[in-house]
Amino acid sequence: MEYVYGIIIIVGLYVVLATSFNLIIGYGGLVSIAHPVFFALGAYTSAVLSRDFGVPVLLAMFAGMVVAVVASVALTLPTLRVSGDYLLIASIGFQLGLLEVIKNLRFTGGPGGFTNIPPFLIRDFGRESYVILVLAVTIAVVLLVRLIARSDYGRAMSAMRDDEQAFASVGRDAMWMKIVIFGLGSGIAGFAGALYAHYYRFITPEQFEILQSAAILTMVVVGGVRTTWGPVVGALLLQALPQALTFLHLPPSVLGPIQGLLFTGLVLVFMFVRPQGLVPAENVWRDRTPRSRTGEGG
Amino acid sequence: MTGVLEVKNLNKSFDGIVVARGINLSLTAGKVLGLIGPNGAGKTSFFNLISGVVKPDSGAVTLAGVSIDRLKSHERVRHGLSRTWQHIRLFPSLTVLDNLLVGTHDYPGESLLSVLLAHARLKQHDKIARERAADVLGRMGLSQVADALVSDLPYGQQKLIGVARALMGDARCLLLDEPMAGVEGQSYAAMQRVVRDAADCGVAVCVVEHNVGFIQDLCDEGVFMFSGAIMARGSVAELIRDPQLTELYFGH
Repeated sequence: MEYVYGIIIIVGLYVVLATSFNLIIGYGGLVSIAHPVFFALGAYTSAVLSRDFGVPVLLAMFAGMVVAVVASVALTLPTLRVSGDYLLIASIGFQLGLLEVIKNLRFTGGPGGFTNIPPFLIRDFGRESYVILVLAVTIAVVLLVRLIARSDYGRAMSAMRDDEQAFASVGRDAMWMKIVIFGLGSGIAGFAGALYAHYYRFITPEQFEILQSAAILTMVVVGGVRTTWGPVVGALLLQALPQALTFLHLPPSVLGPIQGLLFTGLVLVFMFVRPQGLVPAENVWRDRTPRSRTGEGG
Repeated sequence: MTGVLEVKNLNKSFDGIVVARGINLSLTAGKVLGLIGPNGAGKTSFFNLISGVVKPDSGAVTLAGVSIDRLKSHERVRHGLSRTWQHIRLFPSLTVLDNLLVGTHDYPGESLLSVLLAHARLKQHDKIARERAADVLGRMGLSQVADALVSDLPYGQQKLIGVARALMGDARCLLLDEPMAGVEGQSYAAMQRVVRDAADCGVAVCVVEHNVGFIQDLCDEGVFMFSGAIMARGSVAELIRDPQLTELYFGH
């Protein structure tokens, strides 16, 4: 059963990561590859605070989220003043650089990783309780992003993506909106990191490498950018595929590159065959009350 | 009488090409001022400088007595400076109505917290904004296309929607960049009516336009621009009759 629980939790957390990344890259139109590092910041913050500073786990988890938000603002505030392109360039440095810092610090356990992270809920209520927690967070995140996308805020995000200058000319602050979207998406990733850390109780910098970025991006693109269910479908599919590959009993030295090739290959195939992803987005922004409108995609 | 918008000694050049040469201009509440001049005279650049899209090299702009020089584009709009674009620039992923709703003053959709928490306030604002949008669309004769995609509409109607969106923000000063280019028939009359109505409500309007008939019908006064400088100000009829200005306009 533990194996199944492990799969449910990892798939759930990747749904959270893909959904929050969809908020940033899809709805916000912000191109970044630094999602795994916010996942890492949440995991490390929560792990360090709870193990070495005696902070209650739940509080440490929220602290992990806050640290991810603060770090995201440190990335977006200077770069977005210039342009979106700088965000992408800076996000690469952020992802690689911050992970190097984590690798070289003593209190994070360095490259060997951070062990003995206190468990949460499992000792008192069993493994099932943690599975329920992760599923609840997953559903909450998917519904939250859906709510935002279909609210007035979603309409404003749509307008901002269409034409930033015209958006400013109706009195709206595009930069602040981008910072908020990026902060929220990164905060959610940080919380997912904390959930990850307290289940597996062992984290290493390698788990948050740039390859994860490709995986999360693939989930969003293959699933369907700017849709509620796209990242969910994408995360399920892309987590199921590597699991299926493990049944082929290939040596680990081959398995790693094959997974990488699979992700990249899938993105390429989808770019040509089905650029809209498995779940296509509508061309028109729609609010919570569905109405029949012309000109909608799929 | 001091104007709603006061521009003092505005200068700007790009790599030696002067687009604004010591411009002094005042826009008065309730009046429509026509900005006339040949292509390249610096009319759109002048709008870009005032609206904060481009930073001037020197000069000062005040709106209702408050300096707006240090304000960003969107902050100027919140102070009451609204503009349209020569190339319309609507939001193509939104319907006509949604284009207008994003343009409302004090738009709650900009704040994530208010969207998630202040539901009652949101509903109240939404109701008022929809009524207002319906009113603006009604006056433009566009009620029947409220739920249409903007990109599905003819060019003339898109131009009207650009102006309608700018009117949603409680502007004190409205800058219209070639509102009549490509506009014909019913849209032409609707545009005239709406701009005049805005002025009658106390908005100071400035119109850049090549359509001399429209300028003559609508504007209380005209300004002639050439090579980044204001050459003359007076009644539109006078400016059109002036042989020197005509020569500058047609370049012969």
